[in-house]
Amino acid sequence: MLFFGVVIWMIVWSIIGSIMIKRRYLARDLDTSNANFMGAMAGAALGPVGIAALWSRTPTKSGYLTVGLGLLTVLIVAVTFSFADPENICVTSGGFVASQFVNGLIIGIIYGFMALGLSLIFSILGVVSFAHGEFYMIGGMSVYYITAVWFPGVSPLIGVMGACAIAFVLGAVFERLMLTPMYHGKIDRPVEYGILVTFGLAFTLQYFVQATAGANPVKVQRYLSFPRWQFPEDGDPVWIKTSRGSLTLFDQVSISSPRLTAALTCIFVLLALLYLLHRTWTGKALRAVSQDREGAAIAGINPDRMNMLAFALGGMIAALAGALLVQAFSWLPQVGAIPAMRSFVIVVLGGLGSLPGAFLGGIMVGMVEAAGTGCVPDAQKAASYIPAYGMIVLTLTLLLRPTGMFGRRFASSTHGQH
Amino acid sequence: MTNFKLLTATAVGAIMASGSVFAADCPIKIGGMAPLSAPGTVVGGEAMRDAMLLAEADINAAGGVLGCDIEVVIGDTEGLPEKGTALMEKFITQDGVVAVGGGYHSSVGVASKDVANARGVPVVFAETWNDTITGDKQKYVFRIAPLSSWASSTIWQYVLTIPGIKKVAILTENTDYGIPAAEETKAGLATGGIETSVYSIDIGTQDYAGIVERIKADRPDMIITLATGEAGYNFAQQAADAGIGPMDVPFVASQVSLESKAYWENVPDGNYAFVQRIGVPESMFTDEGKAFAAAYKEKTGKGAVESYAMEAYDSIAILAQAINEAGSTDGDAIVAALEGIQHNGTLGKIFFPYGTGKAPSEDGHGDEWWHQWPDVALTMIQYQEEGENSGEATIVFPDAYKTGDAIIVTE
Repeated sequence: MLFFGVVIWMIVWSIIGSIMIKRRYLARDLDTSNANFMGAMAGAALGPVGIAALWSRTPTKSGYLTVGLGLLTVLIVAVTFSFADPENICVTSGGFVASQFVNGLIIGIIYGFMALGLSLIFSILGVVSFAHGEFYMIGGMSVYYITAVWFPGVSPLIGVMGACAIAFVLGAVFERLMLTPMYHGKIDRPVEYGILVTFGLAFTLQYFVQATAGANPVKVQRYLSFPRWQFPEDGDPVWIKTSRGSLTLFDQVSISSPRLTAALTCIFVLLALLYLLHRTWTGKALRAVSQDREGAAIAGINPDRMNMLAFALGGMIAALAGALLVQAFSWLPQVGAIPAMRSFVIVVLGGLGSLPGAFLGGIMVGMVEAAGTGCVPDAQKAASYIPAYGMIVLTLTLLLRPTGMFGRRFASSTHGQH
Repeated sequence: MTNFKLLTATAVGAIMASGSVFAADCPIKIGGMAPLSAPGTVVGGEAMRDAMLLAEADINAAGGVLGCDIEVVIGDTEGLPEKGTALMEKFITQDGVVAVGGGYHSSVGVASKDVANARGVPVVFAETWNDTITGDKQKYVFRIAPLSSWASSTIWQYVLTIPGIKKVAILTENTDYGIPAAEETKAGLATGGIETSVYSIDIGTQDYAGIVERIKADRPDMIITLATGEAGYNFAQQAADAGIGPMDVPFVASQVSLESKAYWENVPDGNYAFVQRIGVPESMFTDEGKAFAAAYKEKTGKGAVESYAMEAYDSIAILAQAINEAGSTDGDAIVAALEGIQHNGTLGKIFFPYGTGKAPSEDGHGDEWWHQWPDVALTMIQYQEEGENSGEATIVFPDAYKTGDAIIVTE
């Protein structure tokens, strides 16, 4: 009762704050893109006091203030929850909370990494690739075939690199063959064309794999098996302990080897990708095309080539996520459906076309899912609602900030055209 | 030929031709439902498809039905009720099937049975357990799989025999199979004073990290999985990674774990898992069961035959026998034949004691026993060696079929 009372109070004041602050900004002819979100957070966190303070200080605002208010809102919800349900395991067990936090962070990093590929494609081509889940599937299947069927015993690293190469080539060839007509005005409705043609690719890949490889679930052995080891030897608690398939910190937080290797690889590749985008000519060219296609073309960059590179890179990123997770999940031709749906949620949440937004959106969705799964009092329903947790966050974000967290407005007619 | 013989032959021919025997177009088509793509249990679906096609080949090799070959039209339910309903409509209206066999997921059975019943096409469900499938007492609906309540009792009765079990965690799918099965298991365990926590998941869930940590924090003495398909593999291995897998606590794995090759590939740390199995051990198979097992292993290359494959085979074979005995492909005639049938199937002698002739209540049974085969053998097996075939695994319960003692990993 206490919890729901506080939540209703916060919702009411967030609505009032959102409306009032936006009106205040409109009245002063200021940019309102963040006003809704900031007003809502001020109302939710501090009620009428927060709204009044924000009102009087208009137009003083900053990203730090918005983030601070958002975190304060989350903190108030958490504290209220702890008072309302003191027996909940999320309140009584710090070890459990730490464990859920780490698991949420790890899976969020992987989600975010996969969504990054989708965002990269959209930011350059203006196309939402509906075949993203199938690239993910192809990545896992390729590793399975390379390491378990074609060349049994070969290093998983070779398998992962092979999967990336296959996906890259597949993406590049598809882009050349099927997406180029969009760029030169040959297609009346490029948005619909992009959707349909990537849908077609998705079905083709899915059923091709099902027809050739079968629909039985497959899996590869974990890439890294830990030796049995602990430190300190006679410690209580043991700080770090490893067994064949997992690593345990302070006897509380266990991380499976497949997830750990996947998350660490994602971080490493993300850093490499950032280096590519910010420090190399090719990366700068990609970003230039993303920001202004015509300007980039005038500067000597071939936008068509960047389109191909972006689509191939985006597909390769999804395939890499699959190649890393095929050691954790059972793999089927349809395995990409759920991750693809989650990627769509993440890129919209983070802001279409925003790479940092996609990555942070992934982490946010991972954390929210972990919190929901761990803390919803009814154990029977906690895991059933997993797909809903991300959708709730997405809905709230879009209500308050339609462009997503880091989104920017796109001209509706871009879609890879000159 | 004398005039008398010619006249007699002509008369017999005319009578037969006027009846429904020759009304059936050859080949006689029987629908075969199976989940052949995700989120359905593809492993189970492919096994059922192979078994139903073997039934088709065996029946045709033995002379077919009513002088015709049969054709088993395989359809993919994807494990989804809406797909099952659409498939049943397609079978009847487009493919022209005269009866339907197979079926894996309860939710598919619950949804599609109404279509078959409304259109007067008999259906013998092979592996759909939900009690309401027969509990609605529909004229055209039969089942050879065990009732959910009955199957659940095998699990909880076995758990009650294991010493030191005070708290059990059940992971179940939120479907027409999972939810009732979890409730029945929970109620059964409560009779032995065992506390139970139920965790439900969406069919097709891949990532169990959060729920595994929650179960781990609950410190259960035993874990029971009531999830079909790849979900069962994913959960078992992720639980093993977190230290609460089959090698750490007594662990009942999902039924799909009977497919040994896929099980060991997907759950390499799955040794000592218990699995519920329908049917007697292979050493006690009927002649029909032994013949099927040999043909099935040869066709699929598997080392063991899964119970759902045997059920799928029987669902087609029993329909073929019923059509032959009815002498017609008319739905009402097939139902009448099924209600009186004695079929020597791979799983044993199959019959349906309750139906239009005798209500289950006359023997004090609930409505779910309507058109239900009451003699299915249910056992619990345990993998005790890595890579072991389910057909060779130790049967640990009930005593009537027991082949060895269980290894309780916590002892």
